[in-house]
Amino acid sequence: MVGKEEVKPVAVLVITCLVWGALLGLTHSATEKRIEEAERAELYRTLSQIFPSAQFTEENGHYVCSENGVVVGYAVEVEERGYGGRMRVLVGMNPDGTVAGVRILSHGETPGLGAKVAEEDFLGQFRGKGLEGMALKKDGGEIEGVTGATISSRAVVRAVRSGLENLRGWAG
Amino acid sequence: MKLQEFTKGILRKNPVLGLVLGLCPTLAITTRVENALGMSLAFTFVIVLSNLLISLLKRFIPRDVRIPTFIVIIASFVTIVEMLIHGYSPSLYEQLGIFLPLITVNCIVLGRAEAFASKRPVSETLLDTLGMSVGFSLSILVISFLRELFGTGKIVVFGHQVIPGILSSPAVGMILPPGAFLVMGILLALMKKARVV
Repeated sequence: MVGKEEVKPVAVLVITCLVWGALLGLTHSATEKRIEEAERAELYRTLSQIFPSAQFTEENGHYVCSENGVVVGYAVEVEERGYGGRMRVLVGMNPDGTVAGVRILSHGETPGLGAKVAEEDFLGQFRGKGLEGMALKKDGGEIEGVTGATISSRAVVRAVRSGLENLRGWAG
Repeated sequence: MKLQEFTKGILRKNPVLGLVLGLCPTLAITTRVENALGMSLAFTFVIVLSNLLISLLKRFIPRDVRIPTFIVIIASFVTIVEMLIHGYSPSLYEQLGIFLPLITVNCIVLGRAEAFASKRPVSETLLDTLGMSVGFSLSILVISFLRELFGTGKIVVFGHQVIPGILSSPAVGMILPPGAFLVMGILLALMKKARVV
């Protein structure tokens, strides 16, 4: 015979899980839209760092940046594996196919070391470059890597290359 | 009210340097003072509220299943708070967002639930968790200060240079994992030597 003392703990645990599961579900559906909007706003803020006074429209994963109806550039988000895991890089391209600007949206690189790839000192080097010389100096290119963070620096270079190739192919 | 429930967490039962709990987040985030500040805020918020909740519900939680019940309550509570902050205050989320999931598995929160909140009244639980928060915050601030200072040669908090570059060739190892163990080990030894813990 199963007594009351055996049933109670199980019942309490099941009820706890059900109640909190329901609360989680409710919060998720209540905040889902707002979270998506917040992330989009964040992306657009980053885009305006590359193209300061442009308007943005999204076309299946690519962003067209225009000022008063004139296209001033394109942008795409690229994912790359860095030293500390996933790295999300936003690559902006001028209409002539050179880099307009690069921004790191998120990364897991070592603070004070690999994380320096997200700073302007490193990212500024890409501006105006095409695919030629798009490699670290130690790999025979023109980009000065961050000291002590070759893997992180290479990851950004790979991301910019693939972003630029992607945008060139897409914008034709 | 027993004030000692508050003060014990600061030195004698300091969660990091006295009870030696919550080392995983401590080692992971003490690379910069800025991180430690964010973690302190998020930690205080979570440990105080989730333990008050457990202290309120303690009469209904059977002994045999108390640990899984605590974990369900703490983890769900943190996740709900994370979603709300992400949706309603994106700028706060940018500062604290990465710390919240880390706190879910912070054993200090569960440790206080098991050792204190599940047995004591709400008012004492409030004092206990506030004291633990002060103790935890002080520990990670001191560790991150030493690591950032010796690892990068300067202290930068939210873009402001608090201490300008004083070392011409900083020891990068200090902001890597070995540096965390070194600093923690030295601090633990000093605490023992001074017979604080």
